[in-house]
Amino acid sequence: MADTLLQGLPVSALRSAAPLLLVLLGECLTQRVGRINLGVEGQMLVGAVAGYGVTAVSGQPWLGMVAGAAAGALLSAVYALLTVAARADQFASGLAVLMLGFGVSAYAGSGLVGLRIEGFALGAGGTTPTLWLAVALVPLIGLWLYGTRTGLVWRAVGESPPAASAAGITPWKVIVAGIAAGGVLSGLGGAALSIDHTRTWAEGMTAGRGLIAVGLVIVARWNPWLTLPAALLFGLAEALSLRLQAGGSAVPAHLLHTLPYLASLVVFAVTCARLKGGGGPEALRAVFAR
Amino acid sequence: MKLLRHLAVLAFAAGTAIAHAATIGYIYVGPEKDYGYNTSMDLGRKFVEKNIPGTKTLHVENIPETAEVEKVMERMIKQGGASIIFATSYGYLDYAIALGKKYPKVAFLHAGGLKTGDNVGTYWANSDDAMYLAGMAAGAVSKSGKLGFIAAFPIPQVVRSINAFTLGAQAMNPNATTTVVWTGGWLQPPKEAEATNSLADAGIDVIGEQVDSPMTIAQTAEKRGIYMVGKDVDVSKLAPKAVLTGASWNWGPTMLKLTKEIQAGKWKPSHVRGDLKDGTVVLDPFGPAVPEGVRKTVLAKKDDILKDKFIVWSGPMTGQDGKAILPAGTRMPMEQLESMNFFVKGVVGTVQ
Repeated sequence: MADTLLQGLPVSALRSAAPLLLVLLGECLTQRVGRINLGVEGQMLVGAVAGYGVTAVSGQPWLGMVAGAAAGALLSAVYALLTVAARADQFASGLAVLMLGFGVSAYAGSGLVGLRIEGFALGAGGTTPTLWLAVALVPLIGLWLYGTRTGLVWRAVGESPPAASAAGITPWKVIVAGIAAGGVLSGLGGAALSIDHTRTWAEGMTAGRGLIAVGLVIVARWNPWLTLPAALLFGLAEALSLRLQAGGSAVPAHLLHTLPYLASLVVFAVTCARLKGGGGPEALRAVFAR
Repeated sequence: MKLLRHLAVLAFAAGTAIAHAATIGYIYVGPEKDYGYNTSMDLGRKFVEKNIPGTKTLHVENIPETAEVEKVMERMIKQGGASIIFATSYGYLDYAIALGKKYPKVAFLHAGGLKTGDNVGTYWANSDDAMYLAGMAAGAVSKSGKLGFIAAFPIPQVVRSINAFTLGAQAMNPNATTTVVWTGGWLQPPKEAEATNSLADAGIDVIGEQVDSPMTIAQTAEKRGIYMVGKDVDVSKLAPKAVLTGASWNWGPTMLKLTKEIQAGKWKPSHVRGDLKDGTVVLDPFGPAVPEGVRKTVLAKKDDILKDKFIVWSGPMTGQDGKAILPAGTRMPMEQLESMNFFVKGVVGTVQ
């Protein structure tokens, strides 16, 4: 049993984690500029449906990924309009975007159910291109955020928009860019889910993964480098809960299904206890103070 | 969003439901276009609408098995004018029983329950025969003798499918085992994909399933180069190499008969059960991986079932733990069958 359990477990965990990792990276950037976008779940869904539809019609999975990213960005523009231009409450706006994404994707997807797509070919050890894409983006975004001037500007806006403004930065532009980056990445995450991971479009198929990403940003301490272990924690727990069963374990399935949430909670509690003050961008706190 | 959709459906219904004697409400637990369980129920709805001129149907999808379904049913009755309600999901039963008492003039039909009321009946079709036959194909095609089964929740109807599948496989290969993976949800494509991958990694080469939509498992199995047996809807066009056969639904005739009885005032609530014999359950066409000889054996067994020469749920039958469940020569009573909470010998996993 131990053999079947460990065999392929790392790849399995990565496969489960990859779509989530993309969304998590996106939400990490959005929160870095001072916005918590609860709408990523909806952005993920429109990314999934657009990616699946374009792949089915064109036969080109990469074109589908681009379409998914565009659809996610389009929906995040709604969030930007609400929270930046109209100065609406960001939580209510996020929920509105979530529901809009759910409805729009269900409507657009109803004609797509049951189409056959080829998707990507399997690579070594059962890996897929979207898995590598997600993993490769972690150091790219990490280096960019901590090692470039633009990255510094984004972080400055996230800490204090007035201070950034005094330094000659236009905060709203940076905030919109952060929201857009979140839209692109959550759309990509959705497209990875439908085109690569499941090769299926099903209504509401993200099943809460977007909202989980919002919570995992805290576990990752708003640090792109830490999104990989945070997403892996969830992916590993999910893969393990299925793999233990596939390996014939006698542990009750109900208990196993709580693993991903339990693991995240434990890490969350431990890191919060150790890091006084939370460690998040300062501007996020203004949300609560308002 | 969901609420808006319900209101729109019902507002439309209220405005137009005057001329017809019968408006029928249908409630689905998942999307009507899931290419699986809910699609099969919706095909039944369309069949009824087409075959009884003047009958109108309302339908709402994505209604959880909570008090929300009670509100939806009540709105269908009060605002939509529905006099017949098809509550198509397992967890809707108690809400249908409760509303049955409140609305004695409305007929409620629940899919697969074991309780009735003065105006609440149930309908279901036993897939066991077809799952047994599909299991035979699975057991014959499997090289490792290790089969898998991906399922949503351990309810009796699912446990029966797993057992029937395993018994069928063992008819072709006495050493065949079935490893069960629960996903904990009726529609969980990401988990279904990873469950298929996990089983494939564990050396399992044929997978049965009972979740709402067979799409993800079929396509993941095809990608991994293993086989699968479908349920609810034939998905061979999505995974032509992987699909061996399957057990599909055909609800139309049952729903039509019940509706006609109710409209004629001749209906008495009871447990209506269809099966392979009356065509409510269909054995899907064989895929190319099933050899000619195996097809013949399976079809011969199907013939035996149709002629009552073979009964799946008959003794001797042994439980997972090796203890006898049924003595030789006896048939399993319906109550035991419909409340099944045990696995037969050769199933790996836990009924929780």
